[in-house]
Amino acid sequence: MHRYRFILTRPFQFLPVLFGISVITFILVRLIPGDPARNILGTRATPAALANIRAQYGLDQPVWLQYFYFLKNLANGEMGKSILYKIDVLQLIGTRIEPTIALVLTSVVLSILIAVPMAAIAARNAGRAPDHAVRIVSTFGIGLPPFWLGLMLIILFSVQLGVLPVSGYGSTFGDKLSHLVLPSLTVALSLSTVLTRSLRSAMIEQLKSDVATAARARGMPESIVFWRHVVPNSLVPTINLLAVNIGWLIGGTVVVETVFALPGMGQLLVRAIFSRDYMVVQGVAMTFACATVLVNFLADIVTVAVDPRVKL
Amino acid sequence: MSVETISPAPIVRRRLLPRRLTLVVGAGILLVFLVLALTAPLVAPYDPIYQNAEVRLQPPSLAHLFGTDNFGRDILSRVIWGARIDLQIAVIGVLFPFLIGTTVGTVAGFFGGVVDAAFMRLVDIILAFPFLVLMLSIIAILGPGLGSFYIAMALVGWVSYARLIRAQMLVLKSSDYAVAAVSLGFSRTRIMFRHLLPNAIAGSIVFSMSDATLVLLSGAAVSYLGLGVQPPLAEWGVMVAEGQSFITTGWWIAVFPGLSIVTLAFGFSLLGDALGELLGVHE
Amino acid sequence: MSGTLLSVRDLTLTVQGEGGPRTLIDNVAFDLREGEILGLVGESGSGKSLLCRSLVRLLPSLLIRMESGAIHLQGRDLATISDAEMLKVRGGEIGMIFQNPTSHLDPVMRIGDQIAEGIRYHQRLGAGPARAAAVEILAQVGFPDPKRQYDSYPHEFSGGMRQRAMIGVALSCDPKILIADEPTTALDVTIQAQILTLLMDIRDKRGLSIILITHDLGIVAQTCDRIAVMRAGRLLEQGPKRQILSNPKDPYTINLISSHPSMPEGTAAAMFVPAEAPVAGLPRVKPLLEIDDLHVRFRTGGSLFKGGAKTISAVAGVSLQVMPGETVGIVGESGSGKSTLARAILGLNEISSGHVSFDGVDLAQQRGAGLAKLRREAAMVFQDPYNALNPRLTIGQTLAEVLKVQGKCPPSAIRARVEELLDLVGLEREFATRKPRSMSGGQCQRAGIARALAVDPKLIIADECVAALDVTIQAQIIALFRQLTETMNLTLLFIAHDLAIVRNLCERVIVMYRGEIVEQGRSEEIFARPQHAYTAALIAAIPDIDPDRPLLSRPAPRCDLLPMPVLPAETMP
Repeated sequence: MHRYRFILTRPFQFLPVLFGISVITFILVRLIPGDPARNILGTRATPAALANIRAQYGLDQPVWLQYFYFLKNLANGEMGKSILYKIDVLQLIGTRIEPTIALVLTSVVLSILIAVPMAAIAARNAGRAPDHAVRIVSTFGIGLPPFWLGLMLIILFSVQLGVLPVSGYGSTFGDKLSHLVLPSLTVALSLSTVLTRSLRSAMIEQLKSDVATAARARGMPESIVFWRHVVPNSLVPTINLLAVNIGWLIGGTVVVETVFALPGMGQLLVRAIFSRDYMVVQGVAMTFACATVLVNFLADIVTVAVDPRVKL
Repeated sequence: MSVETISPAPIVRRRLLPRRLTLVVGAGILLVFLVLALTAPLVAPYDPIYQNAEVRLQPPSLAHLFGTDNFGRDILSRVIWGARIDLQIAVIGVLFPFLIGTTVGTVAGFFGGVVDAAFMRLVDIILAFPFLVLMLSIIAILGPGLGSFYIAMALVGWVSYARLIRAQMLVLKSSDYAVAAVSLGFSRTRIMFRHLLPNAIAGSIVFSMSDATLVLLSGAAVSYLGLGVQPPLAEWGVMVAEGQSFITTGWWIAVFPGLSIVTLAFGFSLLGDALGELLGVHE
Repeated sequence: MSGTLLSVRDLTLTVQGEGGPRTLIDNVAFDLREGEILGLVGESGSGKSLLCRSLVRLLPSLLIRMESGAIHLQGRDLATISDAEMLKVRGGEIGMIFQNPTSHLDPVMRIGDQIAEGIRYHQRLGAGPARAAAVEILAQVGFPDPKRQYDSYPHEFSGGMRQRAMIGVALSCDPKILIADEPTTALDVTIQAQILTLLMDIRDKRGLSIILITHDLGIVAQTCDRIAVMRAGRLLEQGPKRQILSNPKDPYTINLISSHPSMPEGTAAAMFVPAEAPVAGLPRVKPLLEIDDLHVRFRTGGSLFKGGAKTISAVAGVSLQVMPGETVGIVGESGSGKSTLARAILGLNEISSGHVSFDGVDLAQQRGAGLAKLRREAAMVFQDPYNALNPRLTIGQTLAEVLKVQGKCPPSAIRARVEELLDLVGLEREFATRKPRSMSGGQCQRAGIARALAVDPKLIIADECVAALDVTIQAQIIALFRQLTETMNLTLLFIAHDLAIVRNLCERVIVMYRGEIVEQGRSEEIFARPQHAYTAALIAAIPDIDPDRPLLSRPAPRCDLLPMPVLPAETMP
């Protein structure tokens, strides 16, 4: 299938963006005032360790050479050491990545499960009471701060009803899942409002479209018109919206992980910022950025699969 | 082609009432918060940071409508004073990205070529970072505080506006009236500012309203994490964070500031929707 | 003639507006006989589409109601049957095809599946037999390789093939009546002729009846048996084709027929050869515009990484001279390069090679001076009258801006000059304070012409400037141009895809095909004795309003008329 040939060529087009990501994360850490070596190692570093790090990053060299050393270390899987946890940043990220991935996946699935029926109900009753209700709820939902929504869910489900754990992350699969319910519900409720609005207006537009009229003109009942013509045609813009929002979603997990004390990358980032653990900040930011690029790539593949007109 | 269209006017007309309602409610909410913010010293019943040990953790009552926190501070007064900071966050946090983004987008879209390519690569790279992650990283460098938040916002937030305006400029640039203006010998500045920008900017103005919601939530989130507005200053995100430890004993500490965020954000969203329909812009 | 198939009586539709109900279709009655093609003619907003959609209850808004009326189809009244029964009528008894096949075909569904969908639903066939039936239909509507093309998506076909697919979809459930809503309006004239032939063919083979909705009386004259004329929701008159065309009763019908561009205008052509017409090139007069071996090439497709960029020659070696005061028509189908040529002449497109000189100044050699001269002495009128005017400025502001920027008249005189310009193009002076949105297409086009005149131009290039207008408005705009060229010593380059319009307005015609001039000469000459096969095909494909000059009667001498190279209008994003 030549339309999918871009899967092989696309990654090369990401090179400029990946280059940009590395430059920005590099600059971030160099912008910190003070002695870079001390910033990297923390205030209680020994002179020997300081000298060692200066050599590794070429800190007495010109900036472009420092960037070269930075890239070289990166190629070797060296993102520096965490001051707080005393281990390699890459290793640290490895131990924290699972809850975040789990949270993002469950949130996306949950938000689609919420958004598609809501949008369908609204669109098929456009201009009537159910539509107004969905519109008001989703407009209201966009303004829900995830950190506050999370707290409210804790008050309701954990404090009042006592059915779900307040915070943390378990060790067994079932335990983990029960710890994920509230955090992913929090993220999904926020994300689904955006999706619902987009899907709703896309569906309403498609219901009025020539494609729908033509389908009705050949005697198709409204249910076939909706599920076989309106929905597939509404998905394309929504997939793109989901991809664009994935960055926003990951940002949301940073806050939500903090609310629920979920030991993921977001919580790691916030802790690292407070303890001035700059190598961790740099590593986490870079991982998040690469993940976003990857997600957009996946969205491209899905778009091509859904819409035969798209050529990449 | 003489396309025979049946005017969609009737459908629109029936929605006129909800639309007006949207506008009125949205503008009304914003107005109420604006008045509260401006007159905070007059309307707030107590000093927002005065700690009264005798009334700690009081549930809502006539004396303290929204209750008190663990320091005995009046939540209602803190919510009212908080409106000052949170409104300021929404306005300043939108203004600078809007100005920067509009300028960049106009120039990039109009002139195209190398300038355009360079700016758009930068946009791609910034967009590769999750919004809040990049914001937090920048704040990590600058140190916690509201100033850092504004700077980070200006550095990151402009890309949405730049992309919007640029896309519009690209469409309008090839419109017949732009071609007509070129063929009539109008100067580039005149075409750009008199003919294209006024037609391109409507989308950005509408977007700035939903962006205000986003900025408000981000500002509150950053403050909630302890990296924005610093206690004891009353800010809604900070207040929610302070209330988190007391969800079992004093739910009202976190609930009311959160509700204020939701309400103000709702106001911005409604106004954005209403403006969008008024100006004929769809997201 | 066989019996009546469909009989519509007292059909009235109203829309619930703000100030109470408004009548959209007013007491319409007509009959459709078996095997007949009925032409429903009217301009935009006349209600002809709405009328037909109401037959199958496909109303565009919930606020539109059928107040009264009966729609008898073989003993049943479609106005009273249940919605479930109506589903069986749609597609099964009455099929529809639409103006724009691109937007009416589902872009994400295979073309064959869209045909099979109706078969499976209406005839309850399984996937296999439905597919076989759909392949059969694809072959009937002219797909050369139906088995393979079943699996293609709409965007992979040209506009003409998409319309064939649309017809296939409508035929899938074997309807008795086919409603064709402006089926060829979006197509080039040669493709239009093919589609019309296909429709007549289908009628002959299947014996179904067709209601053909169109704004073009020429199409009606060529294809229909009877004509019904609509205006503002009323059926003004109806009757056999020849009777209506030769002896129209209603004043509106008379106007409509006389506005048709294929009506010969007798004296018109002779009237406007300028007194000292330098067509043969008298030595004294220098040409206003000289084009010498002009090439314009675009790069398309490809990217930095993939490469594979293609260069497309939009204009390939055009040479042309235009004398002052001449009116020249440039004709060609979409993609023939005529608009690119126009823009290249005005310095709006880069020239790849060759020369354009305007009033003695060569644009390639003295670009600065040439452009400065062009901007002050040449102007353009565009196709889409709404898109050509800045929606935020009033007409007065638009005109005043030109006068101010170009310094054509002192600031104190601008107001008077604006009014003078409005007078010239036949607009009331109060239009100075109006914005394009509140004006009709014809009024906007007049404003666009006024803007061109504000320059005080020697040359006006009009690019498809009547293509988007109704026929009666078209005729008015053409008349305006004629009057302006006569009174103002204008040189006019008139670009159109419609040969008939050009014949009436221009003394000289240039025919373009695939970026080249294939033929040029005096209008009467070309129409009487076309030399090039393409010109002949183009002329033969025009539906003449005279039913005795049938469409494609003389088989067009077909050279290898391939579809146009790359059609900007057809390519999907």
